Amino acid sequence: MNTPFRLRQVRTIAQLELKRVFFSRRSFWVYLLALLPAVIFIGHGIDVKVRQSRSASRTVSREILASIQLGDTPESVIERAGEPIDDHQWNWKEQNREVAHRRMMYFDGQDRVNLHFQDGLLASKRQSPLINAEEDRKVFAGVFQYFYLRLAIFFGCLGIFMNLFRGEMLDKTLHFWFLAPARRETLLAGKYLAGLAASIVVFTGGVALCFAAMLWPQSAADTQAYWQGPGPAHLFAYLAAAALACIGYGSVFLAAGMLLRNPIVPAVVLLLWEGINGFLPAILKKLSVLYYVQALCPVPPPLDASAPPLARLLLTPSEPPPAAVAAIGLLALTALVLWSASRAVRKLEINYGAES
Amino acid sequence: MRTPEIVFDEVSKFYGEVLGVNRVTLNIPPGITSLVGPNGSGKTTLMNLMAGLIHPDRGTITVRGLSPKDPERLMRVTGYATQYDAAPRGATGFDFVSTGLMLYGYSRVEAAERAWKALDQVSLTGAANRKVAAYSKGMRQRVRLAHAFAHDPEVLVLDEPLNGLDPLVRAETIALFRGWAAEGRHVILSSHVLDEVDVISDQVILIANGMIIAEGQIRNVRDEIHEHPSQFIIRSPGAARIASMLFELDHVTQVKLQDDRLGLLVMTRNRQEFSRALTRIALGGCGIESVIAADENVDALYEYLIGGSR
Ligand SMILES: Nc1ncnc2c1ncn2[C@@H]1O[C@H](COP(=O)(O)OP(=O)(O)OP(=O)(O)O)[C@@H](O)[C@H]1O
Ligand SMILES: [Mg+2]
Repeated sequence: MNTPFRLRQVRTIAQLELKRVFFSRRSFWVYLLALLPAVIFIGHGIDVKVRQSRSASRTVSREILASIQLGDTPESVIERAGEPIDDHQWNWKEQNREVAHRRMMYFDGQDRVNLHFQDGLLASKRQSPLINAEEDRKVFAGVFQYFYLRLAIFFGCLGIFMNLFRGEMLDKTLHFWFLAPARRETLLAGKYLAGLAASIVVFTGGVALCFAAMLWPQSAADTQAYWQGPGPAHLFAYLAAAALACIGYGSVFLAAGMLLRNPIVPAVVLLLWEGINGFLPAILKKLSVLYYVQALCPVPPPLDASAPPLARLLLTPSEPPPAAVAAIGLLALTALVLWSASRAVRKLEINYGAES
Repeated sequence: MRTPEIVFDEVSKFYGEVLGVNRVTLNIPPGITSLVGPNGSGKTTLMNLMAGLIHPDRGTITVRGLSPKDPERLMRVTGYATQYDAAPRGATGFDFVSTGLMLYGYSRVEAAERAWKALDQVSLTGAANRKVAAYSKGMRQRVRLAHAFAHDPEVLVLDEPLNGLDPLVRAETIALFRGWAAEGRHVILSSHVLDEVDVISDQVILIANGMIIAEGQIRNVRDEIHEHPSQFIIRSPGAARIASMLFELDHVTQVKLQDDRLGLLVMTRNRQEFSRALTRIALGGCGIESVIAADENVDALYEYLIGGSR
């Protein structure tokens, strides 16, 4: 009985478990969670593409659009620039008077120009890019922090890792593993690795797909600039943060699944704990997965200035540690949790309920 | 050199408030040993303790010198066919046995070879590629058996292994047990009924309410059951006279006159003889008001254990 043999056992256990975790009906909703944002971003991309192709057929030169002045009439604009892409008219009652409104939109190949007429005269002219790469990245940052970290990976890991022991206790199959000639720690390691492999593949895959879907509708120039600039570092940071979140939450839920039968209890406790973490004294902050993982996120998520102060406090990371420290801190936290899990697994007994 | 016995030393196990087994001390030599007791008596608890699936609250256990807390070494020499019916989700009979073997470090090919051999010994090769979940009760029983002995263990712990087997398969299975015992292995079985296992066992251990009530070779255990003393309380105005008459009888081990001199506590090793004697005494003119068995539960238990076949 030596270390290479134990490592081989860990691999065998992980391989056997991986099949079960990947194809179990219990993990199906985890895939849905992981892929949902990608689906939304793809939908957004398709929308942008459709609008782009619609606008592209009716490009108006920049000089003509620049010649449009406040006070122009719609007719004079159409005479110079041709039919607009969009044209809406409506009446509005203001102070006992009907005011006629009209909006028209033109496209110069890159930017959209929105014209707003009141009572037949141009009242405002605004130019905005068809797609705002900067803003999309912010939205992605928000999706990552609020959806992936706080929701999808949290509950996904809960589903995957809690079932490693608890699920087998419910299925009455855990004794199969306990009767193998393996240390309990070996079993724990094998199961943890299987859960990690599954969750990391699912969630980094989901995040990468979502990232690609976010970049897809952007112009070639924007994309190239991003890839030559901070893009690769951002992508790496997101993937690393997702993987570390799996590592951290995974260990916590693995341990919880060993000690508790009901998954709701640890979910609620942990959700609260991670939620109020911002208020805790520094030493306790270090016992939170989110505290470290948030520190790795490259782009601050959009936070509306009008959000209530309590929400702002809950959602903003407080004085995040540097990325390397955060990664090491998270791994140390995980090691601590796994160590206590390994003590618990030695004491774990087969208890399928008195009836069997 | 490891000691060849399975040793329980003052072992107690509680499930919360519920007693599992209480102060069990056993020394089980190799050969076929049967644990016999009614439902809930603690057979599975003893077996789970041996295999390290649960841990004792008090006392120590060693299996051929190994601690059940060290599954890495214990399970190399031990195979346990549990009473738990479930196999890993979606596993076929072959998967069930061969994945078990892969955890012993056998290569895929070796594991497959050994699995087929084990499945062949329990006549399951035909159904090996079907899902365990779709097996009949007897087939599941046998696939668990194959899983338990596929790695050629020295100690086989088998929880109710004959339950649900048809006579033919049962005979084959018993032949397997005998073969293993002849090779010097431990074969520990459990059963509800003594009759089911007495002819094949080298030792029997009777267990009730979490306590060992008899152990040893089957002949001795049977004698012990037959001769276990029964207590009766007799009420009669002539209690003192009846006492002196009963005292003469061989099978009566103890007679105690109660303080009011109207009652008797009698212990006998032969209830049939005793009731005949009482009839004689009553016919002889001694007024007997009542005869009450003092511990009916214990009597019923013993009757049950030996299958009522006195
Ligand atoms: N997991 C458990 N939780 C609570 N009590 C239990 C548990 N397992 C067993 N018990 C109790 O311990 C006692 C012994 O049970 P055990 O399963 O060892 O009996 P058994 O002899 O195997 O019975 P059976 O013939 O029904 O298999 C019973 O009173 C049972 O109710
Ligand atoms: Mg039982």
